[in-house]
Formats: sequence, structure tokens, C-alpha cells
Amino acid sequence: MSAALEKPQIIAHIHKSLNYTVFDSRWIPCSAKFVCMGNFARGTGVLQIYEIQQGELQLVREIEKAKPIKCGTFGATSLQQRHLATGDFDGSLNVWNLEVPESPVYSVKAHKEIINSIDGVGGLGIGDGAPEIVTGSRDGTVKVWDSRQKDTPVVNMEPMEGETKRDCWTVAFGHAFNDQDRCVCAGYDNGDIKLFDLRNMSLRWETNIKNGVCSVEFDRKDINMNKLVATSLEGKFHVFDMRTQHPTKGFASVSEKAHKSTIWQVRHLPQNRDIFMTAGGAGNLHLWKYEYPAQRTKKGADDVDMGVAGSVNLLQNVTVSTQPISSLDWSPDKQGLCVCSSFDQSVRVLIVTKLNTV
Amino acid sequence: MPLIVRDHTWTQNQNTVYISVPLKGVKTANVHVICTDEYLKVSFPPFLFEVFLFGPINEEKSEAKIGNGVAVFTLQKKRDESWEQLFTNIDKDKQKQIREQAILKVQEKEAEKSKAKAARVQQEKKYALQTMMKLENEERDRIQKMKDEECARATAELGFWRETQRKAAEENENQHNNQTVYQKTERANAPPAVTLMHNTGNTTSGQRSKKQKPKDLPAPRSAGCIQISFTPRVFPTALRESRVPEEEEWLKKQAEARRAVDTDLAELDDLREEERNPDWLKEKGDKLFTAGNYQAAVNAYNLAIKLNRKIPALFSNRAACHLKLRNLHKAIEDSSQALELLKPAVTANAPARLKAHVRRGTAFCELELYVEGLHDYQAALEIDPNNAALRADADKIREIIQGTT
Repeated sequence: MSAALEKPQIIAHIHKSLNYTVFDSRWIPCSAKFVCMGNFARGTGVLQIYEIQQGELQLVREIEKAKPIKCGTFGATSLQQRHLATGDFDGSLNVWNLEVPESPVYSVKAHKEIINSIDGVGGLGIGDGAPEIVTGSRDGTVKVWDSRQKDTPVVNMEPMEGETKRDCWTVAFGHAFNDQDRCVCAGYDNGDIKLFDLRNMSLRWETNIKNGVCSVEFDRKDINMNKLVATSLEGKFHVFDMRTQHPTKGFASVSEKAHKSTIWQVRHLPQNRDIFMTAGGAGNLHLWKYEYPAQRTKKGADDVDMGVAGSVNLLQNVTVSTQPISSLDWSPDKQGLCVCSSFDQSVRVLIVTKLNTV
Repeated sequence: MPLIVRDHTWTQNQNTVYISVPLKGVKTANVHVICTDEYLKVSFPPFLFEVFLFGPINEEKSEAKIGNGVAVFTLQKKRDESWEQLFTNIDKDKQKQIREQAILKVQEKEAEKSKAKAARVQQEKKYALQTMMKLENEERDRIQKMKDEECARATAELGFWRETQRKAAEENENQHNNQTVYQKTERANAPPAVTLMHNTGNTTSGQRSKKQKPKDLPAPRSAGCIQISFTPRVFPTALRESRVPEEEEWLKKQAEARRAVDTDLAELDDLREEERNPDWLKEKGDKLFTAGNYQAAVNAYNLAIKLNRKIPALFSNRAACHLKLRNLHKAIEDSSQALELLKPAVTANAPARLKAHVRRGTAFCELELYVEGLHDYQAALEIDPNNAALRADADKIREIIQGTT
């Protein structure tokens, strides 16, 4: 019977009910605090900072803003400053110093419609190169911003003239292993996944996975791109092996159907890049481990290298809520600690055990 | 009537009576014994032996051994006495009474026994269930305890980690203060070696980054723009919003229509190559219609339809020609045919359906079949609710209907 508990267990450590709809929750690096972002019923945005103390959540600070806040990231700030970059329902990108939240450190009207997703790279002592923020919006554009350049984006990925635009639902940085290289991956609501290379300013790869893409993430932002997980509606997610690109077939992938509903988020464990957790529309969380194949490349028909996808194993799953879990974030400081927020207006702190023996 | 057995034998002592009844060849399975405290009946069809005992016996303690062609009864007397005879002489009525009582008693005894048995079975089932539940509960508790232990251990670790974090933060603060102090003293006294060595003793990563000079960040990227295009789709709605099976059907029908050509007509030999193409003929028909030559347009469409019966546009356009020629019945037939071909109803063929409905509606109204006409106009309005002219026409028709009824 003790064999049953050698698998990692997902334990709901703290559960707090909030009085607003929470869209995103992020750990503040190097601390036991996290930020919840959302909107009050009166239509204003809110940022709340909580600290974990003796098994309870203490509200440290509550900041109310004019527009509801959809997403946020700490990815592009230094460890000392720890500024939060947020995207709101109005299309504005703001970077806040949480000690002095009255006015933003950097602010720009990034898009004409709601910013669905935001990611940052180059900060927190991870990776090389300039800190940049990428935002994806319902107006179909993906823009990369540098906080030293006001008002205009550094890169703009927009639909061609006359093209009907599709909502961009998710963005992610990757391949940032030196000063110049960087890639942005964007997922759209018609199932398109596009990989942009910022060094060459070009579209490097695109594919379509038939169902709208809810979340994409590279397993690590600061290495030569290794794996990309893309989750979609209808309960499917795809893991792409990004080391070998075939000129026509693109990247090899393995796909898995789980959750029986939309998979809202995927997040890789910061301490182990082969373990990731997916959050589903039925309030359930699945913990997965990726196994590499014996050979990661093979020779294709025309003697060109092709990638080989591995396999994905389910380690554990648990249902914590009845409503979709909209956001999930692993703590970069403590392995196994994560915070998730769901549409039942609550935020939960979870502990996943035995990750070091997996 | 059963045969009474009289050749039994009996012996007795102080407390027991032994009766031996020969079974006369009847199988032991067919022997049925009823015994009460003062009456014994052995019936083995077709024989019967009954005895009204001289004295009362203890039925529970008595035994009956049936086998080997003889039934031996060992009856325990209630009172230790010697019986003069086995039978008592009692009158018929009393006999009957005793018999009835005996039967009743036996029945009662049986009922009691079966009840007792049922009760016992019930008890045992309950017991089994309870033990099962207990075992399962124990199992569950054990697993729960293990889980709780894990949880407690994890929270303890978490608390510990937070403590270390806090201490590290405090130390950072102190170090920072010390550093500034040292820097000040450095400038004042210039003993660099000592302070540097003290600092390198500490290995927390946060401090290391503070000691290093801030890295020179590369300049912001030079602006660029990447143009993208999305995966094309025949229908404007996203895949997740579409009604895929119907769209597939519509696309298939279109494809079939393009391909189907009925090639076995004799008249075909007279035609030039281009006149065999229904699309070319349709274009010709359209040009003739716009020029005003409606009869010629009808001819062109007739030929095209002969070649390919599946293109709805041909029927729809021919209906328009017939309208102009005032062949109203033919117009109605053709627009009905067009609407038939335009099933299933998807957004892609909406404009075509709209036209067909309007033409049919007009034809009905010209024939003064205003109700049918109104139906068609309403269907057209459903497809395109923003069309003011349609709405005006529909209202006019409604007024006419209301005027005449």
C-alpha cells in the first residue's frame, strides 16, 4: 500500500475565497508572497499581494486600478527591482513597482483590444540579452516591448493588409540563450501556432492544431529551444520537440488527450524541465512527465534530419475546484510549491510532493 | 383409508418407553412422524400407526430411529412410573381433539423454527457487513493518515524554508548596510583587502549579484515588423464555431455540381466545344438577360440545365427570366428547384437563397397568391433582416392580405 504514495501527491495546502474574479496569480521572486490580478464586480482592476504565514494567507497589500487586469509577469525585471508587468482589458501595458503602485514605471497603450497574454524574458538573472515583454491581444497582433523605448514596440507581428484577424490567445518567449537570439511563440484562436525568430525578424515555423490554442510554453526560456507544449480546446495538448526542424514537416510532436475539457494552462516546473502541470476546465490538475525517445533525431525519406517525439506519462491528477483553473504558477524558489487561481473566485496554494524522486 | 398397524411391540423401564413399529416394506423417506407430549402418530402410506400415550412424555428428549424396515421410538417419560399399557382409553371426541392439537403444535413448532432460522441468517449477514465496513474504514483511515503526514511534512518544510528566506533577507539587509559602511570607510581609509575578503565569505546568490557590477544591457532591438497570415478557411467562421458536417455537405455538393455532366444527349453533337460547358452557357445567359433578350437567355439556361441539372444558379437565373417574361408558374417552379438544390442552408449560400426566395415571392404576388408570397418574403427577411426594401415589400403584401380578408 505504501507504493501508492511514492507517486507525487498534489496537496491543497491553503484555499482562500476572494471577492473578485481572479485571472492570474504570480509568485514574487525570492519571497513567499504572490500577486493575484483580476477585476472587481464594479469593473475596476485589482492587484492583491498575499503572504503565506503559518498555513494561512495574509493580505499584505491591495491596489485598485481603473481597468481590469488580465495577466501579468515578472519575467522582464531584475531580482532587486521585481517590477510587475501587467496587461489589462483596455489594451494597456503597465509596469508597476509594487512598493509605489500609484503610477506605473512604464506605461503604453499597447493594443486596441484586451491583452490576453503577456510574457517577459531577460530578467530575474535568467538568460542573457535585453529584458523584453511580449503581449498578445484580441486584435490579432503580437508586440514586443522594451521598457527603455517608449510608445512604440520593438517588434510588431501583425496580420497582412486585408487579412481577417484572429484573436491571439497566448504568447511565450523562448530560445533566449545568448544576447541576440530570441523566439516568440504565439497561439491563436483558430488553432494556429506561429514561431517568430526575433534575430532574423521572420516567421520561423507555423502549424495549425485545429482547435484554439489556450496556452503555449517553452520548457525553459533561456536555453536553445528544447520542448514546447501547446494546449488547446477540446482537451488536447501537444508537446513539440524543438531541437530538430525539418524544412517541410516542421517539428515532431506527440499529443495527448486529457481533462475532457479545455486545457487552460500549462506550466513547466522551474526545477525540472521535463515535468509540467496542465490545468483543465473542470477544475482538475494533471501532472505530467515527458520521456525522451532513445534517438531524438532520425533520417527522413530524403536524408534530411527529422525530430522524434517522446512520450508523456501522467504522474498524478487531482480535482480541486468545479470551475476552470485559469492560472497556475510554480514557485521558482521552493520546488513543488505552486499557486493556482480559478473562476470560482478563489486562489489555492498547492504543494506537490516527491518531485525530486520522480 | 390408511391401514392401521397393530403389530407394534413396546417395552419400558422407569423413565423410557421403547416402541418398535415395523415399516412393512415402505421406504424410510416416506415415513412421517408427528409426536407431542401425549400422542404419537407414524404415517407411512398406506399404513398408519397412532397411539394415545398412557402418560405424558418429554417430546424434546425423545428419539426416533427409522431404518432397516422398522421405526424405533425412544420416548422419555415425564414422570418416572411404570405404565400398565401403552394406550389410554379415551373416547373418540377426545381423540379427535388431541389429534388436532398435535397438528397445531407441530405447525407452531415449524413456524418457530423457520423464524428462528431467518433471524439467525439475518444476524450473520449483518455481522459480515459490519466487519467488511470496519475493514474498509480502517483502510481508508490509514491512507488518509499517510496523506496527512505528507501534508504536515510539506507544510513544516514550507515553514522552515520561509524562515531561512526571512533570515537571508535580514542578513542581506545587514550586509547591505555593512557594505555601504565599508564603502564609506574604504574611501576614508582605503583598506580594500580586508573588506573584500569578508564579503566573499558569503555565498547567497542575491548577494553575489549585488557585488557584481550591473551588467551592461544590450541596446533595445532595432524595430521590426513581421507580417503574418492565418490558415485559410473557405468559411469565414472559426473552425470551433462552424457546423462542420453541413459545411462539408455543401462543399461536396458544389464540387459534384461542377463535375457532373450528362453527356449522352444526341443534340450534343451539333454543339461547339464551348457550348457544352454549362458555365460558359450560364455566362451567355446572364449577358442576354442584362441585354434584355429574355427568351434567348431562357434558351441558354435550358441548354445549360440539360447538361448539368445540379447548378442552382441556373435555375435561379432562369426563374428571373421567366418573371420578366411573365411566365409566372415557370418562375415559381424554377425558383423552387433552385431552393431545393441550395439545401443544406449555410451562410455561404445565403445570398443565392435570398435571391431565390425574393423571385418566388414576387411570382406568387403577381399571381395574387399573396399568402405564399408573404411566406417567401419572410424567409428572405430571415436571411437578411437589414434589407429595408424587402421589409417595405413584405409590409405592403401584408396590408394587401389584410385589406382583402
